[in-house]
Amino acid sequence: MKKNPYAYIKAEILNITNETATIKTFTIRPQGEIGFRAGQFMDLTLPGIGEAPFTPSSNHDHKGTLDFTIMAAGRVTKLLHQAKPGDIVGLRGPYGSQYPLEKFKGKEVYIVGGGVGLAPLRALLYALFNDVNVYKKIILRYGARTPSDIVYKNEIDSWRDKAGHVDVAITCDVGDPSWKGNVGLVTTILKDEGLDMENAVTIVCGPPVMMKFATFKLLDLGFKDHNIYLSMEKNMSCGVGKCGHCRIGPYYACKDGPVFTYDKIKELPGIWD
Amino acid sequence: MPLALYTISRKDLFDLLGRLAEINRVFVPYAKGDKLYFDEFDASKEDLIELGGIRQSQPLKTFLNPAREKVFNGLTRDPRPAIVVGVKACDLASLAIQDFVFEGGDVRDPFYAENRDNTTIIGCDCTYAKETCFCLAMDGAPYPRKDFDLNLSSVDNYFIVEVGGPKGEAIISGFNVFFKEPSPHARSIRESSRKAVERQVQSYIDKRGIPNTDQIRGVVKKNYDSTDFWKDMASTCVECGACNLACPTCHCFLLFDEKDRFGAKRFRIWDACLYNTFARVAGGANPRKHLYERLRNRFDKKFDFFPQVMNSFACTGCGRCVEACAGDIDIREVLKGLVSGKWNKPPHE
Repeated sequence: MKKNPYAYIKAEILNITNETATIKTFTIRPQGEIGFRAGQFMDLTLPGIGEAPFTPSSNHDHKGTLDFTIMAAGRVTKLLHQAKPGDIVGLRGPYGSQYPLEKFKGKEVYIVGGGVGLAPLRALLYALFNDVNVYKKIILRYGARTPSDIVYKNEIDSWRDKAGHVDVAITCDVGDPSWKGNVGLVTTILKDEGLDMENAVTIVCGPPVMMKFATFKLLDLGFKDHNIYLSMEKNMSCGVGKCGHCRIGPYYACKDGPVFTYDKIKELPGIWD
Repeated sequence: MPLALYTISRKDLFDLLGRLAEINRVFVPYAKGDKLYFDEFDASKEDLIELGGIRQSQPLKTFLNPAREKVFNGLTRDPRPAIVVGVKACDLASLAIQDFVFEGGDVRDPFYAENRDNTTIIGCDCTYAKETCFCLAMDGAPYPRKDFDLNLSSVDNYFIVEVGGPKGEAIISGFNVFFKEPSPHARSIRESSRKAVERQVQSYIDKRGIPNTDQIRGVVKKNYDSTDFWKDMASTCVECGACNLACPTCHCFLLFDEKDRFGAKRFRIWDACLYNTFARVAGGANPRKHLYERLRNRFDKKFDFFPQVMNSFACTGCGRCVEACAGDIDIREVLKGLVSGKWNKPPHE
């Protein structure tokens, strides 16, 4: 029999980091050759229980382990949150399109994240940091619901320090007494930064409604359709364009995406739902 | 290329099937009331075997992409090849879609591919039509033209046999004693039987005014935002998914994991896009929250998506969904409404 696309390899959970009350980062060590490029996703299985698609959040050049930053949202993720280091999960993939880093070279890279949508963007940031000098500028704009919902709290400052290349701003929809930063949706911190709008690229990942309004704001700011990269969240299951669940018009998010440029999908109905 | 034609008597055909069943799983259609069902060949039930008539209730995909197939851990697959006898043209037409999905793209589904390789398909002409038949409107015909290994055309107490592929040739050469040269009239006899059934299907199409493929092209896209239309169409839908499961071209599946004392297993199980959870994600977003959106999706997939990706409608006119629908939603009437802009269904609430 030819290679079985539905089979997973085993992976051991090495470490679990609590990011927020509902989000954890799992560092896992696959028992076999498996990797990804930033933007691609993989299916993580609780053996005998079920699987769900996630974009790894670690550096794609890092060998040996992978990070997945996962919110407890459905049946599989809630059970996954009860896992302990040493537990065995399943892994298959990678699937779909990656962020085209080659095309980002020499350009301003404007990254917009919302909530746990920062996970794939963390993989992107680490991929950019691998070769940080080839990008003109790296800008991160991140929105969380409240200060306690911010993920990667202990890392974000180290991103800021990346050779002065990375400009980070964070906002919270709702503040608290400890929060000294901006209060408002992520769109309130998307501003004219004097970028080269013909060439600057922007990458967006977050909940559907955030992606919608962020995209409209980015268009207002002058980003070009084909320079807006969207990581589309759909119900990807098989990962290989057969099961039918993640269709967007003529595309399947699992094989034609999950990273789409806005010009490719803007005419399709229901992309933000 | 000249057609390789033979004849075989009904008695010889059943003897042949008995011989084939010694090393193959042989499936034949049995009559049950006014319907036909595939089941394993059993010589003692010969009288109930119908190698004519209309399409069976089970779609052909049952044999290639079964409703529930184990795809990971503890695979126990029947090593015997399968021979499916009596497949009608509307099911053969579905093979192009199923093949495109499961064998096409960057990754082949190895289970489908193995089933396909190990299955010999023996077609047969329809000898009458049902009111729900509309293959001619979908550019099909009530007799197989391609995608079979052998085809049987029933004439009196014998069959005209046409060879359509190497697996069919292998049967002819392996059991040549059963096959005779056809009479010089065989082709014209077959032709006149076929024309008679064609006329019957055409009369049903004409009576109902079912649009043809030229008229259907583009109508789903054009009417995508005709929300009232889709809501009216969906007003009697009970979200059972029967239309999806009965359809020979519907291919969507879910991967279902379970475990027993032998360990974790994974199954590929038919899914249905009419179900509320089909496109929903755990975070709560659902691109098709409303039932009318899901009904529309079924038409969008068949009459817009597949034409875009493989230049073919994913409907063969078999009429199974018309029969299966508990809410009397009739694909022919939906298409008619899309083309004409007129429909008579009680308005939605």
